[in-house]
Amino acid sequence: MPPDHTPSAADWRRALARFVAVIPHTRALGLEVLEATPEGVTLRLPWHDDLLGDAPRGLVHGGVLTMLLDTACGSAVLPALPAPEVCPTLDLRVDHYRPGVAGQAIIAEARVVRVTASVVFTEGTLRQQAGPLARGIGNFVRLGPRNTPPGFAEALFAEAPIDAPPFEESDHA
Amino acid sequence: MRDGFHDVEWLARTRAEGDVQAWLALMPYARRIGVTAEADPDGEGLLFRLDPREENVGNVLLPALHGGVVAAFMETAATLDLMLAAREPRLPRIVDLSIDYLRTARVVPTLARCTLLREGRRLGNVQVAAWQEREGVPIATARLHFVLGDPSAR
Repeated sequence: MPPDHTPSAADWRRALARFVAVIPHTRALGLEVLEATPEGVTLRLPWHDDLLGDAPRGLVHGGVLTMLLDTACGSAVLPALPAPEVCPTLDLRVDHYRPGVAGQAIIAEARVVRVTASVVFTEGTLRQQAGPLARGIGNFVRLGPRNTPPGFAEALFAEAPIDAPPFEESDHA
Repeated sequence: MRDGFHDVEWLARTRAEGDVQAWLALMPYARRIGVTAEADPDGEGLLFRLDPREENVGNVLLPALHGGVVAAFMETAATLDLMLAAREPRLPRIVDLSIDYLRTARVVPTLARCTLLREGRRLGNVQVAAWQEREGVPIATARLHFVLGDPSAR
């Protein structure tokens, strides 16, 4: 991305689709990016039976919701910075309103609340058809340009398909 | 009624036998990320392990485990530990979780141990510590609240 070019919403949606597709865990789960702007991101986790935490009762594992909030809040960080930086999660707090149920996609919305020199403060929510499932508050550390690998921004906005390391197709049923 | 967490007799029996495998068998996401449990060789409770799977990676540059997968591992550990350590058969339902990421989680085996800090009549508080190389160097700590459900009330 040239430095004088401000990415459009479509640029960011593509960039974050690449971002979640290069993460082996979210790629394996087929996580989709519906929207991405500096104001926030919307992701969609399609249903898969491996997301269950209580199979007989058909309830989603609470850890799936934490994983999804971590991913959504972390994705929201990138478009909100002056230039993309690697930002690991410092801490995360999740409130569970109700358990997720089997058979429905989970929608994640996240936004950056505040950016400081060293930390990015975010919040996110999860929902299914029936309503809200959980809320998350995540803080991310800014590693700065010095600790961000060269070519990170270019890789996000590249046209070519992502050259991700190979991984085995999931077969844990 | 089918075997399941809400089946009081099944829950009491598996608990008396310490059959944590039977509980994990009903938790597909925990199995997918590779959570296992064994009797703690250094204590009375359980020692949990997260398998270092390629699919658990969240950062390919480092590489490092996905922080959310580490959290899901620790939540699974807290749930199972509470089910075994509670005074009577209980069905924990998570209320909230707070996790601090202390160090990069490398793609190597991760271990965790839990402490039940409070078991009230309705709520429980569990603390979890996860480490890789040495227990004294945790990669993450978490604390969770659970509603302690009565398995017979459904």
